[in-house]
Amino acid sequence: MTPITMHNKFRILTGALAIGAVALAGCSSSSNDSGSSGSGSSKVPLVVYSAQGYDHAMATAFQKATGIQVKLDDNSTGPLLTQIEASKNNPNWGLLWVDGATAFAGLDAQGLLQKGFEPNVNWNTLGTQSLPADKSYTPTGVTLMAALVYNKTKVKNPPTTWQQLISPQWKGAVGMNDPSQSGPTYPFIAGMMNYLGGVSQGETFYSKLKANGLVIHPTNGPTLQALTSGQIKLALVQSSAGIGATFGPGSDPHLAVRYLNPVTILPSAIGIDVKAPLAERKEAERFIEFVLSPAGQKVMQTGDPYGDSLYYPVISGVNPLPELPSLASVKTQVIDPYKWGPQEATINTWFDANIVR
Amino acid sequence: MTVSTESASGPGPATTGPGRRASDWIARRAGRLTAGRALGGLIGKPLFWVLLILFILVPCASSLLLAISPHLFDQQAPGQGSQWFTLTYLRQAFTGETAIAITNSLWVSGAAAGLGLAIGFPIAWLANRTTLPGRRLVAGSMWLILLLPSWLPALGWERIVQADGVMYRLGLNWPWLTHAIMGPFGVVMLLGLRSVPFTYLAVTAGLAGLGQEFEDAARVHGAGRVATLRLIWPMLAPAIWSALAIGFAETISDFGVAATLAYNSNFTLATYQLYANINNFPPSFPGASAMGSMLVAAVAIPLALQARALRGRSYQMLSGRTRQAVRRRLTRRGKVAALSGMGLFYAVALGVPGFGAVSASLLGDYGGSFSITLVNYRALFHQADQLGPLERSLGYGFISASLTVAGGFVAAWLLAQRRQKSSKVLDFLLLAAVALPSVVFAAGYIFAFNLPLWSRFGINLYQTATLLVIAYTASSLPTNARVLVGAVSQLQPSLRDAARTHGAGETMAWARGVLPVVSRPLVMAWLLTFCGVFLELPISQLLYAPSNPPASVAIEDNLSNYHFGVGMAQSVLAVCIALAAVALVMGGYRLLAPAGWRRIGAATRG
Repeated sequence: MTPITMHNKFRILTGALAIGAVALAGCSSSSNDSGSSGSGSSKVPLVVYSAQGYDHAMATAFQKATGIQVKLDDNSTGPLLTQIEASKNNPNWGLLWVDGATAFAGLDAQGLLQKGFEPNVNWNTLGTQSLPADKSYTPTGVTLMAALVYNKTKVKNPPTTWQQLISPQWKGAVGMNDPSQSGPTYPFIAGMMNYLGGVSQGETFYSKLKANGLVIHPTNGPTLQALTSGQIKLALVQSSAGIGATFGPGSDPHLAVRYLNPVTILPSAIGIDVKAPLAERKEAERFIEFVLSPAGQKVMQTGDPYGDSLYYPVISGVNPLPELPSLASVKTQVIDPYKWGPQEATINTWFDANIVR
Repeated sequence: MTVSTESASGPGPATTGPGRRASDWIARRAGRLTAGRALGGLIGKPLFWVLLILFILVPCASSLLLAISPHLFDQQAPGQGSQWFTLTYLRQAFTGETAIAITNSLWVSGAAAGLGLAIGFPIAWLANRTTLPGRRLVAGSMWLILLLPSWLPALGWERIVQADGVMYRLGLNWPWLTHAIMGPFGVVMLLGLRSVPFTYLAVTAGLAGLGQEFEDAARVHGAGRVATLRLIWPMLAPAIWSALAIGFAETISDFGVAATLAYNSNFTLATYQLYANINNFPPSFPGASAMGSMLVAAVAIPLALQARALRGRSYQMLSGRTRQAVRRRLTRRGKVAALSGMGLFYAVALGVPGFGAVSASLLGDYGGSFSITLVNYRALFHQADQLGPLERSLGYGFISASLTVAGGFVAAWLLAQRRQKSSKVLDFLLLAAVALPSVVFAAGYIFAFNLPLWSRFGINLYQTATLLVIAYTASSLPTNARVLVGAVSQLQPSLRDAARTHGAGETMAWARGVLPVVSRPLVMAWLLTFCGVFLELPISQLLYAPSNPPASVAIEDNLSNYHFGVGMAQSVLAVCIALAAVALVMGGYRLLAPAGWRRIGAATRG
């Protein structure tokens, strides 16, 4: 008989382990096949990459209305874009739904988006302003970047212009987000550069803001927390986050929101993966049409009532929620995502090295 | 010594009739079993290596190669670069902000590993070898520290010491403390405290094999306390070096403290700089890979020191004759000193982060006032599908921990064969994998397992629970193996041989001879993986199966959007659930494991 050594016993154990793992992988591939194959059939699962607060509600409503199965990857914008970039040799997504047109312009420039689709809807002015010429993505609503949030019991006379933020009165009192961690913050920085006349003018403005004691926190939540704790007096955050912090459970009723002129429009938008199977792309188009339908707009306005639901609609006849300040007296601006999108990495790197540090 | 299966088989041979047929059947079956074992033995070790290469080396290499070949995975939709070979990104890693970040990470990791050893070793000794009051609680509390994501203590400390923080509101105007914590000192302190459980686990496992006989022998020959310690200290060298190596590698790859306390203190660590590369748009994978390569290369430092320290020595001292150690009675002064030190440690490591997390979850208005409310917990239970992610993560943690412990034991055993070249290769591979930040590791999984080639074979692993569990297992195995190697390197082959000599079969010999002496380290290693996987974020974010988010992704979703308080409430709930699971496993071991298993490595009251 063959002697069994200590060595062989471990070999047996490792062999069993290996076989187990391979079997596990085999199970997975077969189970996954059943879910992802069938591009030729009429209904395939629609893979939705989304960073919207109401996406769970929307996925459920769409599935109920159409019978199309939705697989939802609900993540922050950064990880979603990382997933798309890392998997672009063999993409697994059907549509992407995030805030900020610059990211879509970047994906469009790489040829990753389907062009030429426009749903049959009546756009209002915000919608028309946000729709790209090549129709490579579709706006579904807009928020503003940045809203000025302050405690009205402590700040009786908030600033009325951007230039006042660099005055001694607000030394050490202003806080904003870091663009390398907060997706909506780059459009704000680009928007200020656009308003002031170019990148160098914008860099000068932010350098002066830093010299005046600008406080940087990673994202909307920590910046608002710095405001309520008293570390700062003025917070520059996404409008939906600022408004959401003023009412509802967990809010601070002493907070107020104001827009300084001009404020940059930040569209939330959907883009379709050009490499997805035809059936999935058709479903993605149906998803967009559903989102912009009256039923879809209702889901958007109720799905995240203290967060992303606080958006300005892009469809005629749909009113914003009553908590949103009127835009009648506010000057808004739209930045060209195809001009500012390609500069995102460079400007963020400059901001990180010179303003955050 | 080898033992044939024949000698272990049952009754003696029969020569005629039914007895003969039975004998033939047994012989044939034994032959098949032996052939099967031989086949398993033949392919087992190579296949284990294949799995290591497939699930650890290939993803790591896929990510790291981008540093010199940006075009490698970028052929269909260029965006990362058109170069097949360039050293630009590696050169950039040695310049400007990146070089500063890497330098910071190197010295912080060394200091944190040293601090972890300086605190963890005395705690392990006090809990395992003395009559310290409350020593039974130490192991559980270590798991609690491991369970906490590293950003939680960082946020807790920030809430207390930041300008207008809790400390100032309580009237304690101590700006010196703010400057100390919000800077390199605070970063080293927090990361050092995070290394303590690794030291505790490694040293506890080492102490388990260090029977009383060694101390007795030293004392019998007239050695004093110091001389006895000098005798014992080298015997614990594998455990100590393991602790230092893990502490260094875990610290250098940590992101939680880098993105919170260090970031807010303007003290850049390499992992944050790397994250900024990947989170930018478009992400710079080559830049991140170059930094990842630097971090992996840095692991050579503790490895070289470890190899130099352990070269050519044997640490096999754990046997069936290992005698229970006698707990040293602490004097009244000793007890006071020990309890004070332990109290300070727990206040800093658990009290402050606990206060930070719980208070944040109980304050409704973003922490603007001190009014306590349960509004965040109510919102948590009213949100749809909040329990699903927790259940899912429990399942993922259970499966990953079980696979990891089995694989980790094999890897530890291979590592213990220090004279083989393959064990040195394995050593570097495993520790390098620990040092590679999880976000780079996860991106490597996408590059490696989402190639069109796999789809052509009908294998679509990306964004399935299977690949997520494999990635959890692969990322946990290196640390796990390193924790186990201390105990496994102490195993004497005679344990199994003795069982075989007494007639036990292969499996029984292992179960009765080896398992009892390593059962405690195995349970600890299982818990270590479970705790690490349960709230793991970077791998989960990039690899989770759509519609099936794990707990960490759901929590991050709340924290990064508008529901900070709800996210903190969810974190507190998740930690409580995980702690309950840990208590269940530890309680189960205590209740169900035979008394002899628990006795090995334990100590008696002196």
